[in-house]
Amino acid sequence: MHVGKELLALALRRGARSLCVVGTGKNVGKTVAMRAAYEAACAQGLQVGLASAGLDGEAADQLGGHAKPRIALRTGTLFATAREALPRSPASEIVALSRLQTGAGTLVYARAAGRARYELIGPPTASGLREVLEELAARAEFVIADGAIDRVAALAGGRDAIVVACGAAAATTMRQAVEDVSALVQRLGVARFDSGEPAIFIEGALTPTQIAGFVGAGERRQIVVRDPTQIALRGRAAAKAFETLRIRCERPLHVIAVTTAAISPERGFEPDAFAHAVAAATRLPTFDVYAGRKAA
Amino acid sequence: MKHLGLLDAASAQAVGFEWLTAAVAPVSAYGERHFSGLRPFRASEASLARSRAEMVATVAAAVDEARSDAARALVRELPDVSGAIARASIGEILDDVNFFELQRFCDALVRIDALLSGVYADPLAGDEVRALAQALEPGRSAGGGFYLAGALSGELERARGRLDEAQRELEQSSAQAAGRVARVLGRDDIADADEFIVMRAELRDALPACVRVVREAPTYLLCALEYDEVTLAALERRDAAAQEAAAAEEGVRARLSSLVREHAARLEGAARGLGALDVTLAAARFTRRFACVPATISDEPVLSFVRARFLPLAVELEQAGRSFTPLDLELDDVAVLTGPNMGGKSVCLQTCGFVALCAAFGLPVPAERATIGLFDEVAWLGIGSDRELGGLLSSFAKEVLRLREIFNRAAPRLLVLIDEFGRTTTPHEGKALSVALLERLRERGARGMLATHIGGVASQAGARHFAVRGLRGIPDRPPTSDLREALETLAASMDYRIVEVSSDTAARADAIALTALLGMDRSFVEAAYQALSR
Repeated sequence: MHVGKELLALALRRGARSLCVVGTGKNVGKTVAMRAAYEAACAQGLQVGLASAGLDGEAADQLGGHAKPRIALRTGTLFATAREALPRSPASEIVALSRLQTGAGTLVYARAAGRARYELIGPPTASGLREVLEELAARAEFVIADGAIDRVAALAGGRDAIVVACGAAAATTMRQAVEDVSALVQRLGVARFDSGEPAIFIEGALTPTQIAGFVGAGERRQIVVRDPTQIALRGRAAAKAFETLRIRCERPLHVIAVTTAAISPERGFEPDAFAHAVAAATRLPTFDVYAGRKAA
Repeated sequence: MKHLGLLDAASAQAVGFEWLTAAVAPVSAYGERHFSGLRPFRASEASLARSRAEMVATVAAAVDEARSDAARALVRELPDVSGAIARASIGEILDDVNFFELQRFCDALVRIDALLSGVYADPLAGDEVRALAQALEPGRSAGGGFYLAGALSGELERARGRLDEAQRELEQSSAQAAGRVARVLGRDDIADADEFIVMRAELRDALPACVRVVREAPTYLLCALEYDEVTLAALERRDAAAQEAAAAEEGVRARLSSLVREHAARLEGAARGLGALDVTLAAARFTRRFACVPATISDEPVLSFVRARFLPLAVELEQAGRSFTPLDLELDDVAVLTGPNMGGKSVCLQTCGFVALCAAFGLPVPAERATIGLFDEVAWLGIGSDRELGGLLSSFAKEVLRLREIFNRAAPRLLVLIDEFGRTTTPHEGKALSVALLERLRERGARGMLATHIGGVASQAGARHFAVRGLRGIPDRPPTSDLREALETLAASMDYRIVEVSSDTAARADAIALTALLGMDRSFVEAAYQALSR
């Protein structure tokens, strides 16, 4: 089974023109999932645009120094990266220059003119990511991005599909990993508020202190944030808040699937058990990116 | 745009220097460089100031809004190629982003020349720019991008052909090897031969000999395909071909960079021309938007205008749905300006400063017509100009120190705008000080306008006396707490025009009537009138 094909099919089925992979932490298989979706889109003959919300495609993890999957682009793929990260050879077609700046220089839109491995460096802000996705979407049929969670606010209210990657690298136990991804999916998947019902609108982030106050007061009205990234809750606290309160948003995100990476340099979970537990907790299609399997 | 010695910080603020800077600001890095070098023309540069203002007015008349906006849009979007030209000049080989930028630069110059055809005698895109554009043209891609295409060099085309062939051979060979490994591992394929995961739990036998373990983790092995001899030979041929292609690419970059180096002086000149154009178009836009005219630049230090406007306030009023009353004035010595509270005395002083400022920078002035001498310095003495002196001194002390500082300036051509000097001391001493001030200014040949409520200053100093016409009648309205409504009533009743008067009594301040208009209760106003009559 090809995980990329499945992810792409899920995204296209819901009419999305872009797919963004976010993770519960570092080294949880984001790039592997992104690459799988990319290969599938290319195989389907789509003109693809690729971007990253931060630094991606580098040979080693910037924090841990672990080897990371790099991104081999096919000829004709449109991508966004920092000027300093563009290889001199093979030469790429320079398509446009952005006014956005990254740590490695101005952001450049380029087209791969030969098959090679590329480093994708993206904008440091959510609004920058939105701009990049729009620019790529104007020139490509399907856009795939590796996004940091704090930047997917840029996707709120749009039709972009989000895939959540989770893995053994981001939690010490399988139970913890499942709880984390379940809470993240629940948070990102918060529904749009019902305008016909009473609501409290929150300016900025919804914090644990505010949540405690609402829970204590037995609040029954909808608690509405601008978008799901404004919910500043993690793990069990988040799960508890979602159980007790009616948390909603003005601009929803669309999480379509979860990928699991049961292995990390430090530890490994039993792959099938992990994928099944994640599928059961998130109630979303769940795929093991390394094993290439879907959880039943 | 730097005011250098023309204004100090307080005077710049009072006469709207920042506002003017923003109103005539260019849109590109090229324009910014030119703009940052602008300084006021000196008295000895009257012809330069005049010709610049006339040139701006000519462009404003010749280039309509649509053409101007189109040209400015082109300039605004242009990347700055100055760094690339400089690097090529010292022998560096440029990168493909540089060539993309240079191609856009050349395109923009040609398009701007076409847009502004007939406005300039010398086109921005000279022969050298066109030569570079022609050299880069084979790199233009279908979507308007730049690619180091094979059409730029036969050698590059051939090297890429050899690379494609070698790559195909390698892919065929490695696909066969990957297929064999995939079958052993029970998979459909190996997606990435350089990096793939094998789960220990799924490994039934030893790894195939052609699989190399890159890293071991407790549960998996990160592997890479170890090429066989046939594939290794194909890999060597591919790498060699890739190096040749890279060398050919670098050769093309070197050739194009050397062309940039060869034409660097002209390209830099074109970039400077583009900067000057950006600045001129901004000034022309200002001229059109505010119906400005080139002033007659006089060799004498005079300030004479008809229907002039202080634009920062005019724009603010326009946004509030009101209009600015244009002012007429002739100032060839020192003069006194009197008028009621809120009658526009300070605005008249600011108008003088603003018009002088525009003329000093070679800009058309916001007036129907004007004759302006260039001043070495425009100084503002009034509320706001003494803030920097700190809180330990009284208002009067700050005012005196500020005056001393202005008197100490060596500028031969000085315009001093004085807003209610001596307002915080007794009226008779305030009068004496004002008279002395005007006499001192006259002694040193300065021009000055003193706005005051004190009567008798003009006649005692032998100065011309101007006055705001003032209220046409005191509106009898009930007190209102709506400030906007009160101000509108006042504006409707006030005649802000300036006239020269022969009588030297101070104009009515109408302060009590204004107090009522601004919402003070009737009993307070009545009490004030009674006190006045006593």
